[in-house]
Amino acid sequence: MTHSLRTRLLVGIVSGMILLLTVFSILIYTLTHRALVNQFDASLLSTARMLAASVEQDNEEVDLESSVQEMPEFQKAEHPTYYQLWNDDSTVVARSPSLGTNDLPRFEGSLNIPVFQAFNMNPGRPGRAVGFKFKPRMADNEGTNRQPPAKARELTLVVARDADDLQDNLEFLRWLLLIASSGTITLSFLVAAFVVRQGLSPLNSLATEIAAIKENNLTARVATEPMPTEILPIKERLNDLLSRLEASFNRERRFTSDVAHELRTPLAGMRSTIEVTLTQIRKLGEYQTALSDCLAIAVSMQTMVNNLLTLARIDSNQLTFRKDKIQLAELVNSCWRPFSHKANARNITFENRLPAGLCLNSDPDSFSIALSNLLDNAAEYTNQGGQIWIEAHQTNDHIEIAVANTGCELTDDQVSHVFDCFWRGDSSRTDTGTHCGLGLALVQRIVQALGGSTTVEVQHGRIFTIRLVMPI
Amino acid sequence: MRVLLVEDYRPLQESLTKGLREAGFAVDTTGDGKEGLWYATSNDYDVIILDLMLPGMDGLNLLSTMRAKGRQNHVLILTAKDTVQDRINGLNLGADDYLVKPFAFEELLARVRALLRRSYREKNPQIKIGDLQIDLTTQRVWLDQQELQLTSREYALLEYLGIRAGQTVSRTDIWEHLYEFDSSASSNVVDVYIGYLRRKIERPDKPPLIRTVRGRGYILGAQP
Repeated sequence: MTHSLRTRLLVGIVSGMILLLTVFSILIYTLTHRALVNQFDASLLSTARMLAASVEQDNEEVDLESSVQEMPEFQKAEHPTYYQLWNDDSTVVARSPSLGTNDLPRFEGSLNIPVFQAFNMNPGRPGRAVGFKFKPRMADNEGTNRQPPAKARELTLVVARDADDLQDNLEFLRWLLLIASSGTITLSFLVAAFVVRQGLSPLNSLATEIAAIKENNLTARVATEPMPTEILPIKERLNDLLSRLEASFNRERRFTSDVAHELRTPLAGMRSTIEVTLTQIRKLGEYQTALSDCLAIAVSMQTMVNNLLTLARIDSNQLTFRKDKIQLAELVNSCWRPFSHKANARNITFENRLPAGLCLNSDPDSFSIALSNLLDNAAEYTNQGGQIWIEAHQTNDHIEIAVANTGCELTDDQVSHVFDCFWRGDSSRTDTGTHCGLGLALVQRIVQALGGSTTVEVQHGRIFTIRLVMPI
Repeated sequence: MRVLLVEDYRPLQESLTKGLREAGFAVDTTGDGKEGLWYATSNDYDVIILDLMLPGMDGLNLLSTMRAKGRQNHVLILTAKDTVQDRINGLNLGADDYLVKPFAFEELLARVRALLRRSYREKNPQIKIGDLQIDLTTQRVWLDQQELQLTSREYALLEYLGIRAGQTVSRTDIWEHLYEFDSSASSNVVDVYIGYLRRKIERPDKPPLIRTVRGRGYILGAQP
């Protein structure tokens, strides 16, 4: 099946035309053929009736009026009419001069019922013949011969005529129909091609419009006016798609520019530290300080790159998750260890309230990344001397885990953004670069990828709580 | 020359402060927008280096508030935002220059010095006063074709006097442009450095280059 709409329409229209014209031509030909033959037969029959009326029986003698025999119709060399008359004892009573010594085929229906037949007088010269039985008129010989009237004989008359004209007419009709049909088909092909082309031109203009939309300018839309109603839905869907793509590309672009920003700042710090250090010969201690500053920057950049990669892999479904039994309380303790020093330094207390033995069936690697980021965030934003606690309870089919910390200063509007990439409540709370605002975004994506959900709330104005609802 | 650096990313803040000080600038530093505005409006800085994403108050806001208060100090914006629109926004709000992170420290120095020359309407990076020649770019000084070895403090003082050559420069001006906000030096440190400088750039057989205007300050330049 061809994929061109134009070809399909053309093939459909033209083959439909061919079929219809063939059917109509055959119909016209058949009807005309029948009418012409009927007309021919009627003329033949009237000649035959005239002949039959000219036959007279006088006693036992049957005779055809000589005036009839001498009619030029039965004499001429070109397209003559033939007749032959048989007695009921099969003797030939009369035959037309045009027959010479030839015989016509003898056939007959019942009395006075004519039968028609195709007939070939000479090879290649088709003709038609009519044959019937009839009783001749009795001679009126009053007075002269007073014998009892003889019984009327049943005679057979066959009249035939060349049907050249009929055949010529029919052949003419055949050619006429053939030529007219082919002409009509050719013309209809041209007309259909034109109409299809015109009809499909909105598709072409749509294609041109779509081709004009460049990948770097997704703000362009396909014009919806004026537009055939059949194509309007396509355009509208297309514009919808473009809008969605544009939104998605804008998100992507914003994300990329955020990433660039977050990587540029630490890079600037590292470059500036190194360049300033290299401006002169320095004491060993200064080099050591510069190197350890650069190391700290490198480590924080590495963390950010790792987080970005994890995010990207989750978003593109590149991560595969296994299901393992996770001892939650133990995992929390091991995730907290890296931050305990930082928390102790600011007199923050940490409380793991998870009951021993509480288990979760999930991917241990990913879940521990999520948990670490939650605890890191809590350790970073809890007030001096504040508290962090983690608690959980199990229901039929899920476990709810809540990580809470004191010292939250976020407004409700700010809280609604905590899961956004690169969002920070107030960067005055931390150094640019060390916390780039990916942690909670990553937590949310991981939890969602593991089939769970996250919510956030601020209670009593100061207690910041993130809840994870995980399927068991 | 006195510079204000408003930058919240600590590694960058620390290294720039160190580098600028070593290049002879007096540097005040803050990582907070509101504090930066207070510094900018309470002192007469020669150049303000301003990050855009700041806690407290963002850089563009700081800049427009400062300009609204009539502060005409030269401002160099330092940011990771690099789109043309970002630059246009910054320049439209009254910034004098724009540098995208990460940058070469040498470029920052060159741009800060270019802004300084604009502050004092001095396009030529070479200043000549009699036999004394100061190259503002390389920070080298010659007297009678002989290069002088000056400490960075001495150079900064000479550069400031040189840029304002022929004008009476008060002790307060010198103090404000050469010493940092939290400097513990006492005010007579200016007189001490003038003394050091005189010893290095003056010859007994020539008239003095630095003259004292009693009760008002100093003038760099030969007796008219």
